[in-house]
Amino acid sequence: MAPSSYKKYEKISFLGEGQFAMVYKARNIETDDIVAVKKIKLGSKEEARDGINRTALREIKLLQELSHENVIGLLDVFGHKSNVSLVFEFIDTDLEIIIKDQKIVLTPGNIKSYLIQTLKGLEYLHRSWIMHRDLKPNNLLVNSAGILKVGDFGLAKFYGSPSRINTHQVVTRWYRAPELLFGARHYATGVDIWAVGCILAELLLRVPFLPGDSDLNQLDRIFSVFGTPSEELWPGVKLLPDYIQFKPYPAIPLKEIFTACSDDLIEVADKMFSLYPMKRCTATEALKMPYFSNRPPPTEGSKLPMPVKQSEEEPSGKPNLKRKLLDQISDSIPGKKRLQF
Amino acid sequence: MAKENPLHISWHDTNFIPFLNATNVLDYFSDKSNSFYDRTCNNELVKMQRQSMDNLKNMIGTEYILLHVKEPILYVVRKQHRHSPEETTPLTDYYILAGRVYQAPDLGNVFNSRLLSTVHHLQQAFDEANSFARYHPQKGYSWDFSSTKAVTEEKKEVKKEKPKEEPSSYFQRQRVDILLGELLRKFPVPQIATEQNKPDEDKNSTSNKIDTNKNDTTKVTIKQEPVDEVVSNNNSTATVPNVQIKQEPPEKKMKMG
Repeated sequence: MAPSSYKKYEKISFLGEGQFAMVYKARNIETDDIVAVKKIKLGSKEEARDGINRTALREIKLLQELSHENVIGLLDVFGHKSNVSLVFEFIDTDLEIIIKDQKIVLTPGNIKSYLIQTLKGLEYLHRSWIMHRDLKPNNLLVNSAGILKVGDFGLAKFYGSPSRINTHQVVTRWYRAPELLFGARHYATGVDIWAVGCILAELLLRVPFLPGDSDLNQLDRIFSVFGTPSEELWPGVKLLPDYIQFKPYPAIPLKEIFTACSDDLIEVADKMFSLYPMKRCTATEALKMPYFSNRPPPTEGSKLPMPVKQSEEEPSGKPNLKRKLLDQISDSIPGKKRLQF
Repeated sequence: MAKENPLHISWHDTNFIPFLNATNVLDYFSDKSNSFYDRTCNNELVKMQRQSMDNLKNMIGTEYILLHVKEPILYVVRKQHRHSPEETTPLTDYYILAGRVYQAPDLGNVFNSRLLSTVHHLQQAFDEANSFARYHPQKGYSWDFSSTKAVTEEKKEVKKEKPKEEPSSYFQRQRVDILLGELLRKFPVPQIATEQNKPDEDKNSTSNKIDTNKNDTTKVTIKQEPVDEVVSNNNSTATVPNVQIKQEPPEKKMKMG
């Protein structure tokens, strides 16, 4: 990357704030491109002594090696004073906003398009030995051309090394796979596939599919839909660190939950929601299933629905990381000038 | 599973029937066990996504609408393909009569059924007449009705078992005749040749009616069973469940009047 500095970018507006970073919309002065600048928060003194924030490091480390249409592109990294900022391509919206937009009805073609793009991005990541570990609608970004990009690599990690132990405290709870909830330390790409299953369900139902309010409640919700796993269905489940016996639930056929779904899509969902991680399909396997080649075809990118820009979303809504809120919000934010990259 | 002819089946849910009204009839129709309901339609899609039904107008694809209401007995639901907010193509109509859902036959099916039953009755009459004809070298041809009794009694037993299996009621035929007449007036048949055929057919159907009426009153019970057979073999409109219900309208009419 060419040497760059904060001077190269001109801030346009504030977009949102997350646990580790503030995000701004900005313009590259040299090329006039619109970009998103993610300024990593400094954190406490102890953290600062350790150097750069871990999530930022992960993102920089992994994203620099990646290039795929369905993975967000890291354009630039620059430091200013003690801050580090990451420059991403600017993306208009994300799946969470689309899912919550009451004016949009997602057609089977739209859903197929989102699912294909998500799986393609994920297939690329997994082939590059990277687990994303934080897939959720909010992290699937969609630009105005209808291209979906997997974003936020703050929890992503290389996988495949048997000696390496992973933490199970990953993935937003609602999208967390059952093996993580049981405390598994050796897991793989199946956790991402489970999350994609949950996202698919959310596209179909337009509400979070398994909105657990605690880790135990999350497991309870999972088993009340998919049935309580037995040793036969999930060999080794009882050996997991945090395993507890749940009351036996029968499995509910997904057809009864996703009532308007074609059978080929139910088949895909069934494979993604396999409780036993070894039986869960991979992104590549999923893409080869009949659903993706059957009718209806996925909607063309340009015809995918976009949320209305001037939506009635209140500016008081809690800004979220990467939440591309209204441009106007920035005008109402005091101390704008104080903010620097 | 071999697809059953939709014109031969009906669907109902007795628990729901007492509460049926114009606001919930579409919900009733969209029950998952109702095989007339295509669950990949836009209605179900919107319902699954918990969005407002107002969105239906802006979507493209198959949808169901409530076409006609005659409370409390009749609702007509239409399945249609929507091309744009203004443009739709009707696909099928369904009528919900006293809580039972039937698919309304299209004109082709009605004609088919009428022609078939006409031809069938004629054939029966010929066959039967034929069976009474006798030939003697000395006397030539003659009629012999002495064996009639035995035959009728045999068939009578059969009749007792299946007393209701008529292709349609007199009331129904009359109604359909009116509808067909109206259609004919609206869309007159252009060619003379076909015009000539038409009256023929009408005559046939009237004779057919007379035939069946006779059936009811006199001995000609022989025809009952075969009628049913032929009808179902040829996928025409009239069926057992249809008939049972289709006999209801006259009653209801009387109540309402």
